[in-house]
Amino acid sequence: MSSSAPRSSGPLSRRAALRTIGTGALLVGAGGALTGCRSAVSANSDSEAKASGAPRRGGTLTLATSLDFTPAFLFTQTALSSQNRLIYNTLIRYDDRLEPQPELATSWEYASDGRSITLRLRDDVTYHDGRAFTADDVIFAVQNLQKPERSAQLAATARAVTGFEKRGDHELVLKLAHPVSNLFDLFEFMIIADRHTVAEALEGTKLNGTGPFRFVRWQPGTGLSLARNDRYWIADRPYLDKVEFRVYTQSDALLAALRSGQAQLTYQVPGRSLATFKDDGNFTVKEYDTGLGALYIGATVTESPTDSKPFRQAIAWAVDRERIVARALGGYGLPSAAPWPKSSPAFTEADRTHYTHDPAKARELLRSSGFSTKETLPLAHSTIGLHVVVAEMVQYDLKQIGIRTQLQPTEPVAFQKMLISGKMPALWVNTHAFAQVQPATLAVSAPPFNEAANTSHFRSAAYTEAVQAAWRAPAEGRQARALYRRVSDVLLDEAFVIELAVQNSVQVTSAKLHGPTLNKFNYLNLDNAHLD
Amino acid sequence: MRTHLLRKIPSALLVLLVASVLIFSMLRLVPGDAAVTLAGPDASPESVEAIRRQLGLDQPLPAQYLTWISDLGRGDLGPSYTVGGQVADLISDGLGATVELTLGALFFTVVLGLLVGVSGAASTRRPVQAAVRAFTTGALVVPPFVTGVVLVLVFAVGLGILPSGGRVGLLEAPDLALQYLLLPAFCLALPSAAVLGRYLKDGLERALAEDCVRTAAAAGVSPRRLLWRHALPGALPPVVTLLGMQTGQLLGGAVLVESIFAWPGLGQLAEQALLKRDYPVVQDLLLLLVTVFVLVQLLTDLLYVLLDPRVRWE
Repeated sequence: MSSSAPRSSGPLSRRAALRTIGTGALLVGAGGALTGCRSAVSANSDSEAKASGAPRRGGTLTLATSLDFTPAFLFTQTALSSQNRLIYNTLIRYDDRLEPQPELATSWEYASDGRSITLRLRDDVTYHDGRAFTADDVIFAVQNLQKPERSAQLAATARAVTGFEKRGDHELVLKLAHPVSNLFDLFEFMIIADRHTVAEALEGTKLNGTGPFRFVRWQPGTGLSLARNDRYWIADRPYLDKVEFRVYTQSDALLAALRSGQAQLTYQVPGRSLATFKDDGNFTVKEYDTGLGALYIGATVTESPTDSKPFRQAIAWAVDRERIVARALGGYGLPSAAPWPKSSPAFTEADRTHYTHDPAKARELLRSSGFSTKETLPLAHSTIGLHVVVAEMVQYDLKQIGIRTQLQPTEPVAFQKMLISGKMPALWVNTHAFAQVQPATLAVSAPPFNEAANTSHFRSAAYTEAVQAAWRAPAEGRQARALYRRVSDVLLDEAFVIELAVQNSVQVTSAKLHGPTLNKFNYLNLDNAHLD
Repeated sequence: MRTHLLRKIPSALLVLLVASVLIFSMLRLVPGDAAVTLAGPDASPESVEAIRRQLGLDQPLPAQYLTWISDLGRGDLGPSYTVGGQVADLISDGLGATVELTLGALFFTVVLGLLVGVSGAASTRRPVQAAVRAFTTGALVVPPFVTGVVLVLVFAVGLGILPSGGRVGLLEAPDLALQYLLLPAFCLALPSAAVLGRYLKDGLERALAEDCVRTAAAAGVSPRRLLWRHALPGALPPVVTLLGMQTGQLLGGAVLVESIFAWPGLGQLAEQALLKRDYPVVQDLLLLLVTVFVLVQLLTDLLYVLLDPRVRWE
């Protein structure tokens, strides 16, 4: 446009070019000078390796998470519970076979009628602020979970504790309304928080526990900082100096943090991205088949056509669970018609394969239910990525047998409100937990299964009787197994909850990090973890 | 002037009042509430009701509104429901991070914009022109999300010289803080730098074509001096105006970049609070924005009064 401008392509452009280069060099130099001071990358990465087989003391572990710590959820089991076992302890810990092992409780003894249990507690434990741990802290912990506003999933079990008898500072009798088969689930679930600072803990300003790491600070949106508890009751533990939870809401950013060494641990890599980590020698991928989450189709049994048992069973035969596990979970899960993971005492292979992908059988059942193929049913799901994918797969499978559905994507909070208020449409896709511990817990603590008030509005005397019997019976033995069998039979026959797959927790760690483990409620345990 | 200000204040207050009612009511129209979020995934209706009572959400809406406004009037922003902590702290922390990011981006915008504008106007060489065109078009067309991911892949994953995300406070450790700032600030700055560069290039070309500059060239003034001493001062004022507008856009555009680089600014806070139905945080943030807008309008009006006597006479 300004062709007459006195521009020169001679010395000026060279100078301009030189200036450009010079400015660029200046910027790079400034960057270099900055990095020369101290590198934010090496300050955060695990590159300070040490060639030694023995655990090394020190170092900072950074955990990448897509969900920020929410103090209000401290006593509620959610996907945000990783920090619980770092700051706090629990009374016991389950081993892989669901056998309780001592933690703050050193031993326990049931009364012969199963109506009380005597706990002996450690006498060498102090909170991070120096106060000694006593039986009063356990009493507080149980009473705290009994409050409805804490919204603890094991509230029903906590409420079965009707009295306390202190026998000194470190011995306590819990009196029970009736024998409770899942009492140890409560003991592994219930963090022993400081009773004097619960209000501050729920605000995220002071989290005082007895665990291996002290709370340093929480910055909303940034993450949580913890430091080694030098007075931890396990001698010479933990090895790590610090633990940082860093929030990456974008999954690409989270993956980049892992790949660049900024973070050494996560549980939130999407299934489809796991293959690249598995093939990379710099990372270790570990699966926990605790079955913390399970995918299911819920059916409202108070309206047509989902009030028909053959119709619900037809859906159970129509879905291709293998494909859901392969495509939606990246293979990290177990296709299953029953809620139980392999580690559950209620698990049987026959239940797992009770319904398989059999469209012909599904069509036959559909005909017997008298379903009109002209009807279009609503199929609700939350807008969480995995749920969207699974709902679309379910929609496709149902279409193959002649059931037309209309997807109803719903924002997560609104979806949760629909679940809680019991206002779900005919069909929905969601996940549930609590099948990973004692089987009775599922039916008394997970809303889709609750015998008294479940999301499907399913009521049956047989189911109530089976659930109550399983809850009040001893947790182990032939009698217990027979009771779990009855619960499973009702669930599979009635199909008001149509199970699709048991999800596994998948841990991705830098190859330089050793020893992190999860408990049955996804609480991270770093007692023995160390960096090379 | 004082009369003018007194005349404007009631309308400004009215705007704030209407805005507060609209913000409050529209948030309540969104399905779900903070009690549902706080109750967790497996809550019973009893738990939700207990939490609702605790938060005061069981009160009639007008009572809740009055509580909010009267607390605000006393300067008490209160606690957050779900994000945690005090709303005032959350907003001031987020504001600090967002302003830091915006200033960093502004620095890159100015440096890159000047570089692109000056080299584009000063050189007729085809490679230089092509590079300037490629930059200005590319930076505007490629969305910040893609740029961000590419920057992370190159500098954090590939070269491993800069952190992929997060933030360290400037006062805490300035050397580390600047390293955390580099990538998000650069990513945020690219589109603005492209606009600025293109605008400056055009301005310089126009200035270089003016008679006085051509006369100076004919009198033997060096091209370098022509550019820096004669053309640039003439081209700068409109660029400065544009820079002001770009600063506003940078503040707004920070939301996505904050998310890519895990930068805990106001954008992240607003997103989290809205997802969790944290009414106090969202309400206060939105009302803060409206207040800033109203104040800017008031200031603009006052400036007009100062600059234009006719407005005073009216």
